Amino acid sequence: MSSRTLISLCRGNSSAFSSGRRTLATPIPKPKLLTSIILNRAPILTPTPTPFERAYYAYQARLRRALSNPFPYDFYFKQGSILETRFTLEERKRERIAFGREFGIADDLDKEKAAANRAAVEQLAEQEGESEEMMARVHPSDEARDYKSLDRKGKRNLYLLLQENEGTWRFPEGNVKKGELLHQAAQRDLLAECGEYMDTWIVSRNPIGHYRPPRKAPLAGKPQPEEVAFFYKAHILAGQARPNPETVKDFAWLTKQEVESRVSEYYWHGVKDILSDH
Amino acid sequence: MPLARPTRFGKPPPIRKRLPADTRRKLPRPPVNLRVREYAPCRLSDHYHTTLSDNLMYMNYSHTLQSDLPPKPPREIRLRWDPSNPYAKYRKNDPVGGTQWSKIPPEPSTPANITRLEAVQIHIMSKDALTSRSNLLGVIAALRALSGETEAGGGALAKGVKGVEIVLGKKQVGGWIRAGMPAGAKVTLKGSAMYDLIATLTEFVLPRLREFHGIPMPAAVSSHTSYLPASSNAVKASDVAGVVSFGLPAPAMGFWPQIEVNQDAYPKMYGMHIHFITNAVGVGAQERARALVSGFQIPFVRKSS
Repeated sequence: MSSRTLISLCRGNSSAFSSGRRTLATPIPKPKLLTSIILNRAPILTPTPTPFERAYYAYQARLRRALSNPFPYDFYFKQGSILETRFTLEERKRERIAFGREFGIADDLDKEKAAANRAAVEQLAEQEGESEEMMARVHPSDEARDYKSLDRKGKRNLYLLLQENEGTWRFPEGNVKKGELLHQAAQRDLLAECGEYMDTWIVSRNPIGHYRPPRKAPLAGKPQPEEVAFFYKAHILAGQARPNPETVKDFAWLTKQEVESRVSEYYWHGVKDILSDH
Repeated sequence: MPLARPTRFGKPPPIRKRLPADTRRKLPRPPVNLRVREYAPCRLSDHYHTTLSDNLMYMNYSHTLQSDLPPKPPREIRLRWDPSNPYAKYRKNDPVGGTQWSKIPPEPSTPANITRLEAVQIHIMSKDALTSRSNLLGVIAALRALSGETEAGGGALAKGVKGVEIVLGKKQVGGWIRAGMPAGAKVTLKGSAMYDLIATLTEFVLPRLREFHGIPMPAAVSSHTSYLPASSNAVKASDVAGVVSFGLPAPAMGFWPQIEVNQDAYPKMYGMHIHFITNAVGVGAQERARALVSGFQIPFVRKSS
């Protein structure tokens, strides 16, 4: 969409709004176009299932185990090999978790042989170094409340919010030059505000939403131009934001709820439907 | 609260009445129709819902003004058969004109019709099967190992899934295939099984392929490079069907971890076709389907013309 069409659209709107007050002495200035970028860090962890979801999955997994075809051991394992013994032991454990402690006890071998099997499997695990621990689902930056870290809140969508020198929080934004396309302006404004030390991808050429800041009071009797900001969604793929210190005091990567606590109420009503609940 | 601990189950209620037995399988028939549904959280499905669906909505959004809805019916360019016309009344009702399937516009963008993956199908054709049906056994075993599905799936298949199916020839083509002859096998996957297959494909198979730069797309059609006149209808049926298909060569079968563990157990390696079936339809459906599939980290490259 070219900025020219949008200007004509906005002009049509603003003249329709203020047609009653329009006089020849004070012509209404052209609206000022802005682009604003919703820079998103997509979730890097899967969401934690709720207790209901876990109960549902456990029940379905049990049903699946009960109804599935028997596993073809002889197709996948050499008979009597240690790999087969390990798989059988693991499978027995999983079956007992699914069907109860008593399940399959009668099939057990004599105790000596079972103990020998377990010892052999433990030895194999040591050789393969299988005792590696899984990484925690809570990152140190969560505990340290480091809002600048891109590793925080791994299960949520994070958005980059900037704080102006005057103290207000907003998304990165900038103006549109004459003859420039909106999505090109979005790219340029993002680089100008957040620095070149990150790889980003602007998702589409279409704006995903728009916002009209409150009208400014007339300056020396002259009406100020109306402002219209068009939002673009972008993803951060690598690097980190280094905002321009001349205009920006601080930045933070925030979830939707954290954005609400920092921005003004008017701004929040303009952007809340753009942000993801996930 | 530990994540992996499953819910504990109590004892099942005692069976007071004997269950009726299935005459064919000689097994008790359960009193309800058992169906296994999703049994674990699915990583790629979560990725679709948290990230991809939003992006696809923004990328594929076409703005339709409320005043343009419902869209105007297309102009009728040819005469239609009219039974009230006495000339046509007792004459044959020949179809007039085409259905213009290549020009049907996509539906207006709504949250309900965001491009989504409906199924993934793997199809293996084996020419050896035409000489002897027993040559299909290797194909069936490979598909079972790849997908985890069997013919009946232990009697508990998800809805719309039929397990590994035999594909019969449809037409008589001299020296190649005969109608009704088994020529290959296919398996259709839906839900989490489909996402698991895509994860295995992108993490184990595609990175190990030699000389693989991406799935080739047809060269961009432009007036300078196309050998067709500008007026010709170069749109193919696959362009508007919303299905993305590609083939893997026979050596690639050894890269699937399910096959790799005991590759010697299979008589030979087979090439395969993989079809990603999406809900996209209408003009530009294949582009929208490719945008979705590439979101699952399957790369595409444009052929240079």
